[in-house]
Amino acid sequence: MFLRIVGECFARRPRRKILAAVVLSLGMAVATAMLSVSLDIGDRLAREFRRLGANLLVTPHADSLRLEIGGVDYRPANAGAFLPESDLAKLREIFWRNNVVGFAPILEVPVSAVAISPAPPESARGAFRATLIGTWSAHAIMSPDGSRFVTGIEKTNPWWQTDGRWFTEGSDECVMGVKFAQRNGLHIGNVIRVAAGTRTAALAVTGLLSSGGSEEDSIVAPLAIAQQLDGKMGQYRRLDVSVLTRPEDAFARRDPATMTPEEYDRWYCTPYISSIALQIGQALPGTDVRPIRRVAEGEGQMLSHISVLMWLVTFAALFASALAVGATSAATVLERQVEIGLMKALGAGTRLVAALLVAEQLLLGLVGGALGYAAGILLARLLGESVFGEAPDESLLVLPVILALAVIVTLAGSLFPLRGAVRHDPAMVLRGE
Amino acid sequence: MFWRIEFRLLKASRGRLAVALLALSSGAAITAALLNLQLDASRKLTREFRAFGANVILSAPEEPSAPATARAAAITAPAESLLDAGILSGVPAGWEAQPVTAVPFLYFIADAKRVSSDPVVAASSPTTLVIAGTRLSDLPRVAPGWKMKGRPADVDSSSIPCLVGAKAAEELGTAPGDALHLRANERDGSCNVEAILSAGGPEDDQLFLPLATAQELAGLPGRISLVQISAPGSAAGIARLVSQLSERLPGAQVRPVRQFTETEAALYARIHGLLLAIVVLVLLLTILCVMTAMTTLALERKRDVGLMKMLGGHISRVLRLFLVEAGTLGLAGGLLGSAVGLLLSQWLGKRVFGVSAALRWEILPLTAALMVLVAIAGAFPLRLLARVKPAVIFRGEA
Repeated sequence: MFLRIVGECFARRPRRKILAAVVLSLGMAVATAMLSVSLDIGDRLAREFRRLGANLLVTPHADSLRLEIGGVDYRPANAGAFLPESDLAKLREIFWRNNVVGFAPILEVPVSAVAISPAPPESARGAFRATLIGTWSAHAIMSPDGSRFVTGIEKTNPWWQTDGRWFTEGSDECVMGVKFAQRNGLHIGNVIRVAAGTRTAALAVTGLLSSGGSEEDSIVAPLAIAQQLDGKMGQYRRLDVSVLTRPEDAFARRDPATMTPEEYDRWYCTPYISSIALQIGQALPGTDVRPIRRVAEGEGQMLSHISVLMWLVTFAALFASALAVGATSAATVLERQVEIGLMKALGAGTRLVAALLVAEQLLLGLVGGALGYAAGILLARLLGESVFGEAPDESLLVLPVILALAVIVTLAGSLFPLRGAVRHDPAMVLRGE
Repeated sequence: MFWRIEFRLLKASRGRLAVALLALSSGAAITAALLNLQLDASRKLTREFRAFGANVILSAPEEPSAPATARAAAITAPAESLLDAGILSGVPAGWEAQPVTAVPFLYFIADAKRVSSDPVVAASSPTTLVIAGTRLSDLPRVAPGWKMKGRPADVDSSSIPCLVGAKAAEELGTAPGDALHLRANERDGSCNVEAILSAGGPEDDQLFLPLATAQELAGLPGRISLVQISAPGSAAGIARLVSQLSERLPGAQVRPVRQFTETEAALYARIHGLLLAIVVLVLLLTILCVMTAMTTLALERKRDVGLMKMLGGHISRVLRLFLVEAGTLGLAGGLLGSAVGLLLSQWLGKRVFGVSAALRWEILPLTAALMVLVAIAGAFPLRLLARVKPAVIFRGEA
């Protein structure tokens, strides 16, 4: 009988129930969407911040002091130390390898450059001095698990823009700084000969680089070319690494040497910039791995602030949807006053009436919550795509949260009017007073 | 008469209207708070982005660099690629109503050595490093992330202070409090190490001196290599500053630090988009909420409407009554809610950014107007009342 009454309630007045269910599911859809977007907002923002490029710098431990002014290293040739390129694959074996967005080894060589094709006019003949930056553009690394990881300067310096295209790995091509090209009347398609001492190479210009920095006055070429020109086969001097990190908190700032073993494990297994730096240092022996403070600190500070903002905003949206759902269920109870009066007049106890209505609300809440979850996933995808250009991952974790929220909010919303309705004298209600 | 009926109506169904009012006010509160944050976000974010330090660099129009020749011999930077220090006066003190920090830098190469009575140290050869002359006290403003270690309080104030990069300090074997002897271009100087600086970049290999001392040591009085500017403003604002500076200072090359300005623009667009989407969703939810409250109200008022119609009230007049009711509700909810919302955004601003959001009073009328529209849209179910037939009502069939 109990179930029949509840069932009939839905069957007899479908329009009213549908309206309530629609409002419920819309409210829960918004809640689902906000939760889904917020759950990985930290990741999204962290990725967004990787536009800042490298946040770790790896240099040889034995290196002499860099005498760099305005992007030019004034150290005598061959001064300082170098690192083996073959070690770099080990970066794909560290604990937080999946947080490494990209890395690029760099070897800078001072060169003189001459245009050879097309042959320059007599007046412009002569060698131009420049720095040749040897690096990777899109270098594929095979991981031990068989996956392929493509990395290079485009990942570590995403704000570099090229007109034309990047050089291909292993070819005799280069990308030329836009200012250097302008000053010397060079264009895409030209061929230049670069010389360092007695070693030379002929490079085709495939693109013009604008970076907003001193790189606009230099030539960027494959690492192998720079190694050959400098006579440093298989070596590099500096490694830029871009990693996704968690903002440093008080725990991360502690000195790992003072931690207990459990704390050390926790620190080691958290993607703090300091722990990733330590792991990279272990993978690449003989190096100094230093966080680039300006990028890392600024990023950490902003990341934590913006995530807090987004969570607060999410709670605001959750509150609004809870309110909409609660108000709707309140309304559905309020309109049943006559019915409640009739049931009581026929001898139903207060408990029975309340149980009936609560069962109804529960059913409504669950159905609305489930429908809302489905709609919310679509909404989250839409929202994620329009705001971040990428849909958030569907999290099944959200489903129980949403269902629980739907049930709690519908019950809370109906409880208050229910108490009033059940207490009313049936005679008064039935007379229409 | 109209208003008297209106007043009575409002009074009669307080309960239902309270639900609608609650929905409207909280909708308004959230909308107002988010709109205020939205309007304020650009200011906030640009302030936040100052955490990255300098975003515009002024340098000499670059001569073709000549590393191979300079590399071997040059101890100082080539003098022609320097700026006159007077160029600093061309940088505006404020931009978009916020202060601009401009810090000059002079770079040159010099030899440094720790002053010590230890014969081993005294006999060792000096270390060659890059000296950066600058205003030491302004460093944290153009490079806020740098970590300083040391800064002992008892440094003799008569001596010249300097900051040493972490790697340079390791090479020199120096610690805060030590005295250093510097030599560049046959000129001698000295300084007292105030702190060790760790920046994670080429700065770790450098030594920072007060600008005047550096100019004197290098023999380049009144000359600087570049100016780092930390300017507030959106990406577009920075672009305007860059073009204005290049116009005003033809002798210098002005460029934005693209790494930071581009990230800023992208992040700003993301946050802006998200806040806007949430405002729209919250408004939609508020409409729904008002709609359900009004549907109940419409059902309840069937009798009233029947009576009014019977007494000769035209339906348009009756509906106007209800619309004014909804509008009043919207206005009240909007004003109440946006006042709460503005306070909320102040608190949010303080909680998130450490500085409370500036109050934008234009949000108050804007939100109130939005809420009136929302309430009227939510009152749509009242149209059902037009279909009420008085006879049916009074026969008690509805």
